[in-house]
Amino acid sequence: MNDKTTRRVLILFLLIIAVFVAVAVLSVRNINRSVAASDWVNHTHAVILETEGLRSALYVGDGASHAYVVTGDARDKRSCVEALSDVDEHLQILAALTRTEPSQKEQVARIAVLVNRRSDFIRGVVAARQAAGPEAVRSMLAEDAGQPALKGIQGAVDKLKDDELGLLTERDTASFLQAQTVRWTVWTGVTLDFLLLAGTGWLVSDDIAARRRAAAVLTEANERLEAKVLERTAELASANGLLTTENLERRWANQGLEHQLRYNQLIINSINDLVFVITKATNISRVNPAVVRLTGHETHELIHVPFSSIARITGEGAPAMIDPIPQAMNAGHDLREQRAVIVDKLGREIPVRMALFPLRDRDKVVGGVVILQVVPSAETGKT
Amino acid sequence: MQKHILIVDDEPSIREVLESFLTQSGYRVTAVSTAHEAESVASRDVPNLVITDLQLEDSDGLEMIDRLKTLLPDTPMMLLTGVLFDPKVVRNVLNKKVSCYVDKLAPLSRIMEEVERLAGK
Repeated sequence: MNDKTTRRVLILFLLIIAVFVAVAVLSVRNINRSVAASDWVNHTHAVILETEGLRSALYVGDGASHAYVVTGDARDKRSCVEALSDVDEHLQILAALTRTEPSQKEQVARIAVLVNRRSDFIRGVVAARQAAGPEAVRSMLAEDAGQPALKGIQGAVDKLKDDELGLLTERDTASFLQAQTVRWTVWTGVTLDFLLLAGTGWLVSDDIAARRRAAAVLTEANERLEAKVLERTAELASANGLLTTENLERRWANQGLEHQLRYNQLIINSINDLVFVITKATNISRVNPAVVRLTGHETHELIHVPFSSIARITGEGAPAMIDPIPQAMNAGHDLREQRAVIVDKLGREIPVRMALFPLRDRDKVVGGVVILQVVPSAETGKT
Repeated sequence: MQKHILIVDDEPSIREVLESFLTQSGYRVTAVSTAHEAESVASRDVPNLVITDLQLEDSDGLEMIDRLKTLLPDTPMMLLTGVLFDPKVVRNVLNKKVSCYVDKLAPLSRIMEEVERLAGK
């Protein structure tokens, strides 16, 4: 995977994680809010319940006091006292439940004043009945006709209850909105994450496809390269073959020439007669080993030396005025069976028979071959 | 199937170059230095062509060819020698004894032409 794609995938994964974290944070916060709202709803229900309990206990106490006034039965009195005790208890609970809510606290305080005043009145009626009989409380009850205090308390309790129910509706709406927000947050986060994951998947698959394309291109390039290498190798092998053939041809040609040269040399050197090769100017250009053996001269001492300086034709009578060798060469004639002498290194003259054969190269005389045969001593008359 | 060529020459350098050249050209080559060795090889591994020098250490190339012809009547014989013969001699004498005469100054390509003609490719 190339660096660019890796960076993009990394960024997308970071975004996915960020979305997850954001959704989690928002969800936890909304859950906390829901829990708080639930606590508050429970609290509101508790306040309403206590308010109802207070009113009920107050009515029970009031009823029991009236019964006691009529019957003077101790059981009614006890019921009255217990109901008032419940009233006190409900008041204390209500005060505790609403101590952190100023408006409710104020309402509960007003209700408490009214309820305490009524409780005191009830206790006063019960005490008067117990002390002086029914007649003693008649005037008190007459003043309480229509029970205006209870109506006042009822009104205050209803107001508190209505306020609590109103808040309950308000919190319920807020709770619903929070739940909606959580739903939206979660679904939006999940959708966003799916989109990001899809994007990541697309990036990775695109990268893999690009890699496959690159691999295919590389394979194709390799195949082309391999074909070129094979082609070039074949060319090189062919060139190498040609070079080897040329080399062998050159070696063969050299060997042929060397062989030919050696063979020719062998022929000349195998002759026991003295063989001289002379130039057109009658200078010696080559001798065979028989010359070296007979004259005692080394080969290098004889090369480029005039032939006449070591051998001359003596003829049958007086020496010729003109050397016949250049004449014969110029004319292109052979000389055969010529009497001659050769002078060795010690200055001795050795009688020989000489033959001259002009060397022709493309019909031109370019030199000559002189062959000297030593005359046996019997022929010369020497002993 | 590679064609078998028997080379007979007393000069190692000649044998070496010829063997390399013919092997490179796809022939199976046996190179020997004497007529005796040549006859020994020919009796156990029949060649498709015999290439021989004229002057051998233990014999004359033409004499060896005469002996080989009794053993290998259908095998072509090439005389490859440094001894340069007159064309008339080649025509009247050598061509009656050998399938082909090539002097050692001829290029290898010329030798190959004759080898392909006599032994096939």
